[in-house]
Amino acid sequence: MKMSKILSLVLAVMMLVTCLVACKPKTPENPNEDLKGTYDITMWVSEKDGVADQFKQQIAAFMEANPGIVINVQVEGVTEADAGSKVIADVASAPDIYCFAQDQLARLVQAAALLKPGKAAAAAIAEANDAGSVTAAKVAGELQAYPLTSDNGYFMYYDKSVLSEEDVKDLATIVAKSEAANKKVRYALENAWYTASFFFATGCHHNWTTDENGEFVSVDDTFNSDAGMIAMKGMQILTKSTAYDSNADIFTDAAVVVSGTWAAEDAKSYFGDNMGVTKLPSFTVEGKTYQLASYSGYKLMGVKPQNDPKKGAVLSLLAQYLTNAENQLARFNEFGWGPSNKEAQANEAVQANVVLTALAAQNQFATPQGQIAGVFWDNAKLLGAVAKNATTDADLKKGLDDYTAALAAFTKLTPEQRRSYTVIGGIKDSNWGTDFLMKEEPAGTWISVEAFDLAAGTEFKVRKGMSWDVAFGDNASNADASVGTNNKANFKVETAGKYYIKMVLNADETSAVIELVPAE
Amino acid sequence: MANTTDNKLKRKGMGAKASRRLSNFVIYVILILITVIWLFPFFGIVMESFKIDTQAMDGELFPKQWGFDNYIRLFKETDFIKWFINTAIMGVATAVFQTFFVLAMSYTLSRLRFKGRKALMNLMLILGMFPGFLTMILIYKVFSDLGLTMQMAPVGLVIVYCASSGMGYYVSKGFFDTIPKTLDEAARVDGATRWQVFYKVIMPLSGSIIIYTILMGFMAPWGDFMMASYIIHENSAGMSVAVGMYEWLSKTMLNSHYTMFCAAGVVVAIPVVAVFLALQKYYVEGVTGGAVKG
Amino acid sequence: MKQLSDLAYLKLNKFQRFWYNFLMFLAAIPRWFVGLCKRIGRAVADFFIDIKDGILDIGRTFKQGNWAVKLSFLIFGMGNLYYGQIMRGLFFLLFEVIFIVYMILPSGGIHWLSKGNWFQTGATIGNQQGHLEYDPIYDTDKWIPGDDSVKVLLYGLLTIIFIIAFIWTWRLQIKQCRICMDITAKGKKIKSGKEDLKSLLDDQFHKTLLSLPVIGILAFTVLPIIFMVLVAFTSYDAAHDGYSNLFSWVGLEHFNELFDFGQGGLGLAFGEILSWTLMWSFFATFSNYFLGMFVAIMINKKGIKLKKFWRTVLVMTIAIPQFVSLLYVSKMFDSSGIIGELIRDMGWLPQSMVDAHQYSLWANPTSAKILLIVINIWIGIPYIMLMATGILMNIPADLYESSRIDGASPWQQYTRITLPYMLFVTGPYLLTSFVGNLNNFNVIYLLTGGEPLNTEIGSAGGTVVGHTDLLITWLFKMTLGSTDSRYYMASIVGILIFVVCAVLSLIVYNVIPSTKNEEDFK
Repeated sequence: MKMSKILSLVLAVMMLVTCLVACKPKTPENPNEDLKGTYDITMWVSEKDGVADQFKQQIAAFMEANPGIVINVQVEGVTEADAGSKVIADVASAPDIYCFAQDQLARLVQAAALLKPGKAAAAAIAEANDAGSVTAAKVAGELQAYPLTSDNGYFMYYDKSVLSEEDVKDLATIVAKSEAANKKVRYALENAWYTASFFFATGCHHNWTTDENGEFVSVDDTFNSDAGMIAMKGMQILTKSTAYDSNADIFTDAAVVVSGTWAAEDAKSYFGDNMGVTKLPSFTVEGKTYQLASYSGYKLMGVKPQNDPKKGAVLSLLAQYLTNAENQLARFNEFGWGPSNKEAQANEAVQANVVLTALAAQNQFATPQGQIAGVFWDNAKLLGAVAKNATTDADLKKGLDDYTAALAAFTKLTPEQRRSYTVIGGIKDSNWGTDFLMKEEPAGTWISVEAFDLAAGTEFKVRKGMSWDVAFGDNASNADASVGTNNKANFKVETAGKYYIKMVLNADETSAVIELVPAE
Repeated sequence: MANTTDNKLKRKGMGAKASRRLSNFVIYVILILITVIWLFPFFGIVMESFKIDTQAMDGELFPKQWGFDNYIRLFKETDFIKWFINTAIMGVATAVFQTFFVLAMSYTLSRLRFKGRKALMNLMLILGMFPGFLTMILIYKVFSDLGLTMQMAPVGLVIVYCASSGMGYYVSKGFFDTIPKTLDEAARVDGATRWQVFYKVIMPLSGSIIIYTILMGFMAPWGDFMMASYIIHENSAGMSVAVGMYEWLSKTMLNSHYTMFCAAGVVVAIPVVAVFLALQKYYVEGVTGGAVKG
Repeated sequence: MKQLSDLAYLKLNKFQRFWYNFLMFLAAIPRWFVGLCKRIGRAVADFFIDIKDGILDIGRTFKQGNWAVKLSFLIFGMGNLYYGQIMRGLFFLLFEVIFIVYMILPSGGIHWLSKGNWFQTGATIGNQQGHLEYDPIYDTDKWIPGDDSVKVLLYGLLTIIFIIAFIWTWRLQIKQCRICMDITAKGKKIKSGKEDLKSLLDDQFHKTLLSLPVIGILAFTVLPIIFMVLVAFTSYDAAHDGYSNLFSWVGLEHFNELFDFGQGGLGLAFGEILSWTLMWSFFATFSNYFLGMFVAIMINKKGIKLKKFWRTVLVMTIAIPQFVSLLYVSKMFDSSGIIGELIRDMGWLPQSMVDAHQYSLWANPTSAKILLIVINIWIGIPYIMLMATGILMNIPADLYESSRIDGASPWQQYTRITLPYMLFVTGPYLLTSFVGNLNNFNVIYLLTGGEPLNTEIGSAGGTVVGHTDLLITWLFKMTLGSTDSRYYMASIVGILIFVVCAVLSLIVYNVIPSTKNEEDFK
């Protein structure tokens, strides 16, 4: 305890020195003159023991580095996984700075709960942090928050006395040996974050499109496919075994626990010298082998929008400071958090850490976790349970069908979407299977949210509320702009190109003029 | 016919003592069994709190190594004391105000007759059928505006616990109903005002129900999680024990906080159980007397 | 169904009697319903007659009144002041001044009412949305606050209530003028302010006692409920929280969603949850009731010693905060908990569960439900035990004595004396306890949190539905436990919970005799 305090003190002094040199040029104005004043702020950081104290020390160092800025801070411990939804629940009284897991980013932007870094700051942040974390902090191409860690992925802890280094490469071997040793394989397959690992392994993908407001527009999902069936069967290798336990929060009786960096201490105290850490194994279905994939995730620091731009600027400065190389390194030393800052990542101690090495090995097979709607988390986790309970292939298929239906229902059920028009057709290989959203501006005119690459001869229609009750196509089928009436022929693209699709409704919404607007 | 009845009586007469002994024996066995089942979880919590070999759930009843580490950690490293004081203050405040609200409501409905009495009772009956939790959505918004959430959450929560507590008048109204009306009438004939009847005649007779109501009010903040977690909104300064401790069982903290959770559970249970056992007599009187009428 | 004569009824056996009563109840429903309609009709008619009478009375008062009475039609309390009721007069006057000032203030009543776009489907509540604006000086955005839909709705509602109160007060003070006029005409003395105050401790004592509790209920229960009913017609959810994004009126759209029984619709989930909720409530109420009574009879039996000790043991579950005991018990039955592990190691789990890889009782829907009811017995028996103790002591001992002489067995004593007596006395309690169990959040949330997940239904209302979810936990998950809190859906489910409770209560109140007359049983 004492040692770490001295260490952080030394670090604080170091940071003070570096900051005097480094911070100033980042903002165009001289912050010390312009931003002087006293600020009362609240802050949410991880609830882990000691985290809040370290942040307080770092803020004290920030004040020394920026004379004239006085910050009275109140730091609360709130788990990053929930912080986003708690902020959204009451944006008005949310904390000024909060740390959150990046999957909540889109929702936070949509709820106007994030203050973007200024232009200069955004450039500096993008430069200093690894590409994955920068992408994770973006919505609609703009940086929305400050990357804090780059370690929110999962891999495998195992017991070396039960499994050899060779054993841990194959799932079936792991299961057989653990069963024989009467030990558990703890893998939270009833949590979508982990369930996805099997699907990504077989080449499935799941991506959402968001608009600039952070609203989910459409989903591109291939879980319900042949590859998806293989993934389900792959899960059954594990779920049908007596060794399987979906509770990966504890280590009791475990031979294997699939978890992340946060479990490192628990793993060490449970396995002791027998602790092994490595990437996830591969599994074999119908003679083909697939390496288990994973999600790589990031934690971000967000700033709440302020009425007073001066305070906003100070908070932005503070957030940059708290996520710089020195402070990320301090957090690595104290809590083992993997830094997102490239300079900190290059540090020797970081390089030598076994847990982060395993994470890095797994990250080669990881999908960066983009913005994903809650409906995915809620429904993909059911797939693990389906794989466990299913007795026939038909059961597996039904699970996947239900999952697809839930996704479709989500997009269908949004009230705006029910009133609004969408484009459907042979667009983007969707083969009349996906509705692409349009937005209304001004009233009576609808334009597709994204531009499509349309080949000549592509057909589509514009329909309302994702049903065929009201759908406009083309009754001339030979011009790029034409009058469509309800439920007639499809619109046919004449000349290939990248277009927005635009529709102008007549007053009583019985007919519409559909038109292709070239992008750019 | 007569013969068989005779025989029955005779057999009864002869075996009565033995059969009563047998049935008493069976009852004792059942009661002892019940005692074991009832106390087992509490025993388990206490045992868990003395474990020092693990901080997680290990499926063992008895500690492998005993010690007070969990308690020391509880008081030294967490804000538990602050939460405890918050909750205790809330308990006392709720007890005071809630008692006033409940007694005023139940006394009026039981012993005074006025226009709109029936309507008021029907209204409260109907209101009781809406899930009370729903009201929290608006109350939270308003409190958040008035600054009665987060660090001021204890104040806000006391208001929440007390404001609508008049709706829980049933038990104490049942109690007041059992006091003979002739007492009031006699006092009225002697020229007492209604206030004097309330203050000088009925209240002195109502010790048990008053203490019962106080007890219920005192215990409310210790057990409430749902409303408290809403109003406190993650603020450590305004935290109550229930909300603070619940966090320790979250996925990320369970492994390092489970035994401490049990230790905290023991510390929380001690004052509540102490107060409860000390006043148990009144509680029993309140429930048996009041709930009968409902 | 023909009503039987008393004699014919007595000839029926037990089963037939029950059947007869039940059929009579069913047969009475149409009649009862017609009666209800009539009563409502009459109430409406009475209401209009009252209004007519009121208007006539106001007209008469205006015609016959002197200048002060006439003036009080515009300026509150003038009549009272004229007749010497200074305190009342000033009180009314003050009320009017506050009302007018509130309404015309820049951020007062008119301001809020005008923003509501009341019940215009598709229109937002509040007009100005808050937004971010770039500030080049500090190279950062700043937040330009707009309207908050929640506040617009709330203050609009409050204003409407205030207006109703204003009209009511206007009528009240005119009525008082009338009374003063009548009293003076008869040549009697009018009550002074001092007497008014005094009566608050005597004739009007109920007003004194009730004022605070009733205000509390109005502000913290009635107002929020009206607000939530309004929310059911809006799009209030996490994406439209009112502060960052305004929400709007959507009419009955969400009600349709609830009764959509297709995939992804809420109908299926609602039906499933409702049926388990009713089942849970039934078993939880009656298992506690009979077992609690049984335990009470055992403890109170003559010759059993240590009565106080047994009672204290049981009462421990009331004394220890539920979130401690229930959370611990929940972990105890977990696959790696003390009892969970024991059950597994002993091979007590049914083979079908082992085959399905369900290693704890919480993992299987059926066993989880049974376990919930069993643990609820642990929590619930003590209350019933205490209550039954009180009631048992009230049963006249000579009833048992005489029945014993008649040769009744203990079982017969129980079914003929104890049970009917208990049922009669605790009828209303059973109802409240049934409704209480319907909304028993703590037991379900702390023990299972609604799990195991229901893979058949999947998600509904923005949250995953579990096999053991009650309506109330579903509602909690929809608002707090989910990333897209659907407040509108929560309020619709809340309304439906109310409907379920109300229907049940109506039936019970019409079947159980002891609920009808509170003066009956003293």
